Amino acid sequence: MDTTAQRDKWLLAIAEAADAAALDALDTRLFGAKGEVLELVRSVTSLPKEQRPAFGKAANALKQEVEQALAGRREEFAHAALANELAATDFDATEPGPRHVRGRLHPITIVQNELVDLFTSMGFQWQDGPEVESEYFNFDALNIPADHPARESQDTFWLSDHNLLRTHTSPVQVRTMQRLSKHGFQPPLKVIVPGRCFRSETVDKSHEHTFYQMEGLVVDRVSSDGARGIGTANLIHTMKTCLRVILERDVQVRLRPGFFPFVEPGFELDVNCPFCGGKGCPVCKQSGWIEILPCGMVHPNVLRQGGIDPELHTGFAFGMGLQRVVMLRYGIDDIRQFMGGDQRFLQQFPEVPR
Amino acid sequence: MKLSLRWLQRHVDLSGIEPKQILADLTMSTAEIEGLERFGEGLECLAVGHVRKREKHPDADKLSVCTVDLGPAAGAGAGGVLQIVCGAPNVAAGQRVVVIRPGDTLPAKGAKGALKIKVGKIRGVESHGMICSEAELGLSQEHDGILVLAPDTPIGARFVDVAPVLDWVFEIDNKSINHRPDLWGHYGFARELAAIYGRELAPIEAMVLPASGRRVEVRIEDRDACPRYCGLLIDGVQAGPSPDELRWQLAAVGQRAINLLVDLTNYVMLDLGQPMHAFDAGHIGAGPVVVRRARGGEKLTTLDGQARKLTAEDLLICCGERPDALAGVMGGQGTMVEAGTSSLFLESANFRAAVIRRTSMRLGLRTDASARFEKAQDPANAELAVHHFLRLLQRHCPGAVAAGPLSDPAGFRYVPEPITLRRARLALKLGLEIEDDRVAGILSSLQFGVQPTEQGFEVTVPSWRATKDIAIEDDLVEEVGRMFRYDNIPERPLHGTIAPPPRNDELFLVRRLLEVGCLEHGFSEVYNYSFVQGSVLAGCAAAEHRYVQVQNPVAPEQARIRRHVLPSLLASLPGNLRHSAEVRLCEHGKGYHPEMSDEHGLPHEVRELAFVWSRRQGPHPYGEIREALAAMLLRLGYPAEMARIWHGKDQPWVHPSRAVAIDRDGSPVGYVAHLHPGVARSMDLPATTAIACLDVRALLANGRQIARYVPVPTFPLLPVDVALLVDEATPVARVAEFLRTVGRKLVRDVQLFEVYRGERLAAGKKSLNFTVTLGAEDRTLTDEDEGKYLGKVREQAASIGGELRG
Repeated sequence: MDTTAQRDKWLLAIAEAADAAALDALDTRLFGAKGEVLELVRSVTSLPKEQRPAFGKAANALKQEVEQALAGRREEFAHAALANELAATDFDATEPGPRHVRGRLHPITIVQNELVDLFTSMGFQWQDGPEVESEYFNFDALNIPADHPARESQDTFWLSDHNLLRTHTSPVQVRTMQRLSKHGFQPPLKVIVPGRCFRSETVDKSHEHTFYQMEGLVVDRVSSDGARGIGTANLIHTMKTCLRVILERDVQVRLRPGFFPFVEPGFELDVNCPFCGGKGCPVCKQSGWIEILPCGMVHPNVLRQGGIDPELHTGFAFGMGLQRVVMLRYGIDDIRQFMGGDQRFLQQFPEVPR
Repeated sequence: MKLSLRWLQRHVDLSGIEPKQILADLTMSTAEIEGLERFGEGLECLAVGHVRKREKHPDADKLSVCTVDLGPAAGAGAGGVLQIVCGAPNVAAGQRVVVIRPGDTLPAKGAKGALKIKVGKIRGVESHGMICSEAELGLSQEHDGILVLAPDTPIGARFVDVAPVLDWVFEIDNKSINHRPDLWGHYGFARELAAIYGRELAPIEAMVLPASGRRVEVRIEDRDACPRYCGLLIDGVQAGPSPDELRWQLAAVGQRAINLLVDLTNYVMLDLGQPMHAFDAGHIGAGPVVVRRARGGEKLTTLDGQARKLTAEDLLICCGERPDALAGVMGGQGTMVEAGTSSLFLESANFRAAVIRRTSMRLGLRTDASARFEKAQDPANAELAVHHFLRLLQRHCPGAVAAGPLSDPAGFRYVPEPITLRRARLALKLGLEIEDDRVAGILSSLQFGVQPTEQGFEVTVPSWRATKDIAIEDDLVEEVGRMFRYDNIPERPLHGTIAPPPRNDELFLVRRLLEVGCLEHGFSEVYNYSFVQGSVLAGCAAAEHRYVQVQNPVAPEQARIRRHVLPSLLASLPGNLRHSAEVRLCEHGKGYHPEMSDEHGLPHEVRELAFVWSRRQGPHPYGEIREALAAMLLRLGYPAEMARIWHGKDQPWVHPSRAVAIDRDGSPVGYVAHLHPGVARSMDLPATTAIACLDVRALLANGRQIARYVPVPTFPLLPVDVALLVDEATPVARVAEFLRTVGRKLVRDVQLFEVYRGERLAAGKKSLNFTVTLGAEDRTLTDEDEGKYLGKVREQAASIGGELRG
């Protein structure tokens, strides 16, 4: 039986199908319940036995050919549809979506959290102390007796009953040592104390009466030969690590003498100026260095006040000015912004600690 | 304090060392240097001229027309003869003067800008340059006449080559030498430089004073306040102006010249750090000089013309009964030597630092003398300064002689107590071993006595370091370390056992709450002062509460320390609402309550986390802030109830009825509320302002709740919608509780999805529409279960005054 005419008719119909819907209709006409192609295949039963194998083979081949043509044509339509979809111009990818309300942490909080993460990862505990402090913890316990000139230079806000607004976070040194030594001191002690401090200053672009410091204290046992323990070399390493992380660059530091009654020896730690790279600029007053960290080896009298034997223990302490670090990190030039409560400032610092 | 390099060079040879290098080395070993300036900069163009002829100006009485010879046109200057019109009264033919030529520029001085000299006509006569006064050169305030140089000054020479004016001046940060009484003069810094560079320090030697002769009796009534008082009568003095060199030297360090005697007392003070006072001997008369405490109510008019009221804390120098000086601070009016004085009484004393500090602070009178005595000066210096003064005086005024021996009733004998410096302690504190020779070398160069021992060294401290600076072994570690230079210490990491540090739950909770609040719920964190403005407290109706008070506030308005964070946070809103229609802020801070105190006598401290949510118009954000708080607390493992109407007694800014407590296990840890409408009005805030506050310590008190696993339901849950008609006054929390208890074990969840108020309801009624989710562990629930549940609700709704709708 010759099926050429049917074949041609079917293939033509497939080729001429206008769209996917027409093709679906054709599919039903050819392969549906009473589809023309299937009918043809089934018609094998009406043939004499000897013709059946040949016809069956041809019919199946034809069926396959038509199926393939259909699939090919369907593919063409799918391609065309996709191409069409892709060519559409009714979408603007630069159009923003619905507004997401963005809250922000205060930039000092961001930097403080990052420092807390760093120091806690090195085994420091995070501590805090009262902002309304006693004269004893703020001064006497820190080797700053009455009439010491250092008291005056701290421009203290005095309250009643020998209380004051703490002028630094250092009182927490002795508070922590006393707490830990009450039941026998178990070294090492590693603590950081970020917090709010107060000094009576006239507020301007670079001065604030309310400021943020981060105190650090490390105390450990001295070796039995008395020659090894916490020393200046450890202080330098710890401070360098800290600055490297917080300023996100490799830093050069220099340690020079600085006087603070609660440390001996005392140091000022400078970092190479990020604005000029050390060549000298107005920010670093042409020196190439920025004073960032007063620090030193804990004074024996302070350890004693904390109930710790200074012959058997040594330690270092530092007090980083957080505003200074935040200003260096973000390029902020007006210290008043921190306490200004203006969202137009506060919204500028979206990142959270790494 | 200013340091002159020229001055330092009198004590130590610093040749071959750049001033910048000196700055760097002093910074690294001794003190902070704030600046380095060239003194006399720009004076290099000036030349020495000879006034050949002086004629009166034809048209002006006060002007002279001078013919000035600048020598041959060889050598340093351009030479030549110039016609210069000069207004100075003292110009005369034959003088050697300082001339600036047309085309050259006089450097700026203070507020006065630089002056470029041009050929000009003055009243019709051409003038080719200017003859300069000291003021014009910046060497002194003297501007009445021109500077006249010595008659043998070479004509045509550069002025800076023949006059000692060029200098380098270091500005020392005074704060960095507060602990070093010895560094309040040039000699102390010269000693440091000699040690740094390994050079010789010229000693200041004693003079021989007469064994007998006239002297004024000195009586020290309070030896504790005045450990030493040296007085010397000096005859044959002339109190004229100081020679140029001395005046210019003082000018370089910012000290105004007055007359030779006063200038020399200042010079010695700036050299040795020992303040002195030169009394007119006639004023002191027969004495005695008495050092005593002031009597209450006593008065003294000081040199600056101020009448000072004294207290029994102040120390006086008296002549007989008459107070003549406020010891260590300022002399009395009329005691200073004047021109014409031929005999003086020189005071060089030592006063207790604390006494001087108290007087100086109380009177607000800070002087060069008080600044030095406050640092605890070395009593040995008092005597040395007298000798130094006398030697310098005799150099300028050869006729001056001590009239007799030194009056020094207290005397001073320094017996140093050796301090042991152990090698091990040095290595321990610096973290590095330094050879013994080096250590001994450093200490000796600073004039410490060093005796080697088996363990290290026995060190004796020189008197000028012993008053307050060096008392213990660790102080010596600093001396070695700073001269060795801390920069040379290699860094070394901390090491030890690895153990997690004790965790401070309170601080971490605050941190997480802020992170969740800001990053998930859109709050922006602000910092406000701990001082709260009176106007803010008044706006919050809290002005009458008790506050911790600052005795010396920056402004009277900022004398109160806040009890709560919210008022200041509310005050942050108006400014921000000007820029945005909706503002969410939060703040972490401490509040102080003076009515309670702890074991150290400190006021009770509360750690608060406060939130405000305000929109200029639209729905009230109360519901949103409440849900935000609930979500935050749940997130951190502190789920809380917000079902109890709350009345804050200490928080008058809270709406009296629209507020709930945040409860954990029945105790309040905070509140969520509408802002009180009265407070909203007085603070100019929208009524649509919601507030919330957490007491962090209270929140922590009941512990963190870790989520517990419950099996995922095997059988499907059955949501049932329930609408209950209730009185407006019936709180949702109560209705929800009712729906929960009515269904007993079957109720899995009760969620309000709508509150309907409208015309279809009776007045004073609202419809609360809930989805109640039912479920059982052992079966699939059916319509029958729903029917039973709704039946119970219908039956028992009366117990809450409600009625099931539909």
